[in-house]
Amino acid sequence: MAEKTSGKGWVGVDFKRKEDHRLTTGKGAFFGDISEPGMLYLVFVRAERAHAIIKNIDTSKAKALPGVVTVVTGADIKDEIRSMPQKVVVPALPARYPTHWPLAMEKVKFHGEAVAAVVARDKYTAEDAAELVEVTYEKDLPFVANAAMALAPGAPKVHDEWEDNQIFANVFTGGDTVEGQEENARKVDKIIKGAHAVIKETFRVHRCGMTPMEPRGALAKWDESDGLVAYVTTQRPHIDRLALADILDIPTEKVRVIAPRDQGGGFGVKAPFYREPILVCHLARQLGRPVKWQETRNEHLMVVSHERDQTHTVELAADKDGKFLALRTDGTCDCGDGCEGVYWGYLMSWLGGILFTNSYDLPNCDIRLRVAVTNKSALSPARSFGSYPTRFAIERAVDMMARKLGLDAGDVRRKNIIAELPHTTCTGAYYDSGDYLKVWDTLNEHLNVPKFRAEQKKALAEGRYIGIGFGTGVECSGMASEILVPMENQPGYGAASVRLDPRGKALVSFGDAAQGQGHETTISQVAAHEFGIHPDDIIVREGDTETTPFGSGTIGARTGSYIMSGVSTACRVLKDKMALIMAHDLALDAKPEDFEFVDGEIIYGKDSNIRKTFGEMAERIIMAPVNLPEGVEGGLEHTAFFEAPTRMMCFSIHAAFVEVTPETGQFKINRFVTCEDLGTLINPQIVEGQVQGGVVQGLSNAMFEQVVYDENGQCLTADFENYKLATAADMPNVEVTHSTTKCPHTPLGQRGLGEGIPGPVPGALSNAVCDALSPFGIEITELPLRPNMVWRLLQEAKQKQAAD
Amino acid sequence: MKTTVNITINGESYEETIPNRMLLVDFIREVAVQTGTHVGCTYEGVCGACTIQLDGEAVKSCLMLAVQADGHEIKTVEGLATNGELTPLQTAFNEHHALQCGYCTPGILMNMDEFLKKNPNPTEDEIRHGLVGNLCRCTGYAHIVDAVKDAAGK
Repeated sequence: MAEKTSGKGWVGVDFKRKEDHRLTTGKGAFFGDISEPGMLYLVFVRAERAHAIIKNIDTSKAKALPGVVTVVTGADIKDEIRSMPQKVVVPALPARYPTHWPLAMEKVKFHGEAVAAVVARDKYTAEDAAELVEVTYEKDLPFVANAAMALAPGAPKVHDEWEDNQIFANVFTGGDTVEGQEENARKVDKIIKGAHAVIKETFRVHRCGMTPMEPRGALAKWDESDGLVAYVTTQRPHIDRLALADILDIPTEKVRVIAPRDQGGGFGVKAPFYREPILVCHLARQLGRPVKWQETRNEHLMVVSHERDQTHTVELAADKDGKFLALRTDGTCDCGDGCEGVYWGYLMSWLGGILFTNSYDLPNCDIRLRVAVTNKSALSPARSFGSYPTRFAIERAVDMMARKLGLDAGDVRRKNIIAELPHTTCTGAYYDSGDYLKVWDTLNEHLNVPKFRAEQKKALAEGRYIGIGFGTGVECSGMASEILVPMENQPGYGAASVRLDPRGKALVSFGDAAQGQGHETTISQVAAHEFGIHPDDIIVREGDTETTPFGSGTIGARTGSYIMSGVSTACRVLKDKMALIMAHDLALDAKPEDFEFVDGEIIYGKDSNIRKTFGEMAERIIMAPVNLPEGVEGGLEHTAFFEAPTRMMCFSIHAAFVEVTPETGQFKINRFVTCEDLGTLINPQIVEGQVQGGVVQGLSNAMFEQVVYDENGQCLTADFENYKLATAADMPNVEVTHSTTKCPHTPLGQRGLGEGIPGPVPGALSNAVCDALSPFGIEITELPLRPNMVWRLLQEAKQKQAAD
Repeated sequence: MKTTVNITINGESYEETIPNRMLLVDFIREVAVQTGTHVGCTYEGVCGACTIQLDGEAVKSCLMLAVQADGHEIKTVEGLATNGELTPLQTAFNEHHALQCGYCTPGILMNMDEFLKKNPNPTEDEIRHGLVGNLCRCTGYAHIVDAVKDAAGK
């Protein structure tokens, strides 16, 4: 008999995570823990130049080292494997897709690009041999250092076969034709010219990313009859499988990709189809021996975990009451060399453009973006995918407008937050449901802003500078096929298989791959809630392409919205079957909805004395499939492919409270409060964990992390000494609150949340610092937000005040 | 150059002949095959995922050579629980949702286990400063602080 829940079930319960026992006792099963008999170790030799023609690669000394099995260069593999791009990892968007292989061909395009690979019997020998590979370069080509330089006429080219360095450009507003876009542009221009108030500013967010604690890795083995088995640190094993099959010309039935059960964080970084696993798999097949590559932190910080890097010039127009009239933005993104399957460095900025207006009602916009390739590593996805820079820009613009009009920034925000849903933005984004103003009001009840304003006034009289700032974020709660097909050429459905055993225990499987989200716990809760059994009676498995239904990957908060809904749907199909058979067995004239599944029993609603245990019905249907209703088969297993009737979005607002020391520019976050509407909470504690972690990532990006290249394109931040992540001592405790409206499009009323949490952070933080320093009138327009920048802005403001 | 060492890990002694340059973390993970201890940075001692206890003191095992641990007693995350019974700290990590991906967790447990022995009644500020040698990317630290506070004195 299952543990009693008094009929309440398992949704909304802080069920303690099933993953934790193994992870707190050293029994996790991470990529680094996997080994195969006879395994060889692969180490990449990476470019020490940013942009240079390769003259020669001398591998003789490396090959001569005892223990080395092989050393390969680009020339060795060019005719053996197909080049990228391959269709399965190319979005259906009009962009340029650079031809590339796992190793550099004639020239290197960024500091850190792989130029050769050493395979040896142990990893120390492989590292030694990599040091012995001598790469000589013809000459250094000019370092294409940023988007402005890359897009200037006559700029040196990153990809020689292209006409210029523009990988992608888009006008997000005015429809699909140039005429429509220009007509829209004229309309927006007229509104801006006639508006009571306009602010114009250029906002920039630097290159930084997510940097999971576990770097990447791939381990492949080959068997002539079974084919390829590859363990890859990945958020999307099924996509990797198809891409590997295509690129290595292996029939798909002979390719199996397994994402390790435990992955040490992903946050988007493990979502692309990268170059390195291709070579690992190719060499495992060629050598007939298992080959393992474990990325070092140094490689990781040079090659991946770079995102953001966008600059937008923003014009926002409003009437005298602060009601927004129009928005015009013109932006660029420096996407690195763009050689990266699925995202190609540019796709994040595309979504950032689509969601530029964020939570604000702005029907008249002209939004433009150009993305350039440069001599840096390709941008790879990070939480708040492409939107972190555009959110910073719009939220700062809102506060600047409020200041220009002499209005309270909170009042201006409330006046412009979308009041009625559903809502279609000027870029065509569809916001389905919820109550955004209720989120605003709920958050403000927690904050008590009038009290804070009084304290602020008092503090100022004492020479102390405290401030409050807001940021908002509308994030995709999973992606419907109608978005994901054009965006990534992949389905958006949430496919889940549910199989019951004769004792009434369930196995739930799906094709995505967790990296710490606690899927085993929350998915168990959903299935337990549906079946009325205990979460411990449920096993959750994912990540292995051989045993799971197709999934596009753990991306964009889609587990909560799509996968869980697939699980609910599959469970309900099985419940209906069980109810149907129970009614048949008991000769009841009943419909499936007449039965309740609660606390281990199936109860007839019209007469609660009529009941059977869940396990007994499972046993009867699986083990004794006789005397079944006509047309009904035995067995209890179903795969559902959940697709919501519309796209779904989730909404959050963040508030930051800071105190700034004007003498030094240092600031302290005194309080950070969030409020979001994700509908039904499946596990509130896990939700809070997602918010705490996402906010700290957003703060860490805003305050500390920054990828720095020198004037020659050398990456100077390829270790944790130089690429600083937030530590416990740097960070506040986040107060997490909720404002709940059920999502009408999912079986349990939940929305997926998590992906976009860092997005509102930079706006909230920088608005708070500007609010604290409002007597000086400083405006923060770029990140990272560090004391030296605040101090510099203060000096400029003081000089200006003195001059006035 | 190789040396024969005798290192005790979680009460079991390992007498092995190893290259002198072998890092202690590699000895633990690859020779003793105790894979709970992790590597998150490039052996620079910043991330703290490889933190173990050497004679009761929390140290980063990527910053030591295995030969330096010759004759010493090491405890790793596998050695925290006794006879299957978790320590209050391990239990508190589950209770407070102090881990998500779990990659940094073993190092944090080994550091905080020692920290609480030295400071059984820490303030939040002391806990946060005690954690600066461990990077966590998932949790934002708040729940870790809650768990350590809860385990203190138990």
